[in-house]
Amino acid sequence: MIANDLLKGTLRTIVLKLLADNGRMYGYEITKKVEELSTGKIKLTFGALYPVLHKLEADGHITTETEYIGKRVRKYYTLTETGRSWTEQRVDEFFDFVTTLTYVLKPTPA
Amino acid sequence: MIAAAIDDNYGRIKVDLISRGLTCDRLIDDLLDHVCCMVEEDMNAGSDFDSSYDRVLESIGEKQLYEIQHQTLLLLDKKFQRMKNFTYLFGLSSALIAIVGAFFKKMHWPGAGILITVGIALVVLVFLPLYFIVNYREQTEKKNPIYAIVGYLTMALLLAAALFKIQHWPGAGHMIEIGLGFLIIGFIPLYVVNVFQRGGKEKISLPYVAMLLVGISIVMLFTNVNMSKYLLDTYMKESVSNEARVEATRERTAHLMEMFRDSAHADNLQTVTLIHEKARSLQIMIAEMQEGMIAHIKQPGVSIEQVRRIDNRGAGREAIVDTGSGGEFAQAAIGYREMLEEMINDPVTLSQIEDHLEFTGKVWPHEYGARDVANGPLMKNYYKLTDASKGIALSEYVTISYLLHH
Repeated sequence: MIANDLLKGTLRTIVLKLLADNGRMYGYEITKKVEELSTGKIKLTFGALYPVLHKLEADGHITTETEYIGKRVRKYYTLTETGRSWTEQRVDEFFDFVTTLTYVLKPTPA
Repeated sequence: MIAAAIDDNYGRIKVDLISRGLTCDRLIDDLLDHVCCMVEEDMNAGSDFDSSYDRVLESIGEKQLYEIQHQTLLLLDKKFQRMKNFTYLFGLSSALIAIVGAFFKKMHWPGAGILITVGIALVVLVFLPLYFIVNYREQTEKKNPIYAIVGYLTMALLLAAALFKIQHWPGAGHMIEIGLGFLIIGFIPLYVVNVFQRGGKEKISLPYVAMLLVGISIVMLFTNVNMSKYLLDTYMKESVSNEARVEATRERTAHLMEMFRDSAHADNLQTVTLIHEKARSLQIMIAEMQEGMIAHIKQPGVSIEQVRRIDNRGAGREAIVDTGSGGEFAQAAIGYREMLEEMINDPVTLSQIEDHLEFTGKVWPHEYGARDVANGPLMKNYYKLTDASKGIALSEYVTISYLLHH
C-alpha cells in the first residue's frame, strides 16, 4: 500500500492521465483501473475520486456524457481540449518531480 | 441475471443512498452507478443480491456518502474556496505585521506600537473569525458551533491580552486570566473530546497543537518580562537603605531642634517647626501612597520586604495616579522647596536643597512622570517614593542646620 499522504496531490494527475490513455471512463472503472495498474498498491476510494472528478468538470478539464445501463444512469468522463494539454503539463511536471526526488533521495556515490 | 437483479432493486438502492444524506443530483447518478457496480462484482463471486448488497452497504458506512457530497460541494463552491485562500493569506500577512512590529519594538525603532496593534487587531478581528468559520463549514460530523466559538474566544482573548500587555493598556492582567481560564476549562477539554469523537479518523493535527503551545508560551513570556528579578531586588535593597537613612536623618534633625530651643535663635523656632511639620506631612503622604500600593495587591499592612507581588503593575496606577495623591504630593513638594529656598541666601546650601529635592524639578517628571508611575512595577514606584522621602528628610536637616548657624 502506498501511504495516503504521498498520494495527496497526485490523485488529480492520475485521474487525468487515465482519461487521456483510455478515452472515456466511468467512476467505478477508474478505481478498478488504478488498482489494476498499481497491482493493488493504490486503493482509490470513491470518497476521494468523486470530489476530484466534479472539481475537474467544474474547471472545464473534463466533460460527461450519460448512458443508460438498464434503469440506471452511467456517467462517462472524457478530457476536453484544455484538459488534454493540461494533463500533459501535469504529467511532465510529475516526472520532473520524481526525477528530482530521485536525485535528492538517492545520491549517486561520488 | 445479475443485471436484472440489480435493476429490480434499483428503486430500493436509490432510496437507501438518499436516506444516507445524498441530496445532490449530479452525485446521486455517480454513486448509484458505483454502488451497483460494487454489488455486481460481489455477485459475480456467486452471492445473491441481498447478501452482496448488505456487504457493500456495510463497507460504505453511514456517514461516508454525506461526507463525499459535503467535500464535493465545498470544492465546487468558488466563493468558499476564495474565502479559504483569503483567510490563510490574510492570517499570514497579519501575523507578519505583528512579528515585524515585535522586531521593531526590540530594536526600539519608531512605529512598533502601531505595527503590533494593527497586526494583532487584524488577527483577532478578521483572521480568527474567518478561520473558525472556514473550519466549521468544512466539518461534516459532530458539527458543533460551541467548539468554534470557544476556540475563537480563547485565541482572541489571549492575543488581545498580549497586545494590551505590550502597550501597557489597563486590563491586560484580567484578560490573561480569563483567556487562560477559557483555554484550560473550555478549549482544551472540548478539543480532546472532539478528537476522541472522531474516533482517531483524523490524527490530532500537530500544527494546531503546536500553534496552541506557541500561543501559550508567548503569553507566559509577556507575563514574565515585567522586570528582571535582579532589578527588582536592587530596588528593594535601595529602598530599605533609603528608609534607614530617613530614620537616621530624622534623629539628627530632632537633635538639631533640641539645640534650637536652647540657642539664641529661639525666635526662629516657629519657622523651624513649620518646616518640620511640612516635611512630616509630605512623608505621611508618601507613606500613604506606599500603603495604598500594598493594599491594592491585597496585602494591606505588610512591610515591603514581605510583599509577594512586587512586580505588580496596577498598584502604582491605582494608588498614586488614579487617586490623584501623586499629583497632590508633587504640588505640595514644590511648595515645600519654594518655602525652603526663600529662607536661604547661601548658594551652596541652595544647591544642596535643589539636589535633595530633585524630584520636584522640571526634568524629573519627564523622566519619571505619571505615565511611568502608572506603567511601572510596584517595587520601582516604592523605591522612587523612598528616594523622595530621603530627599525631604535631608533638605529639612540642611535647612534647619543652616538656620541654626546664621
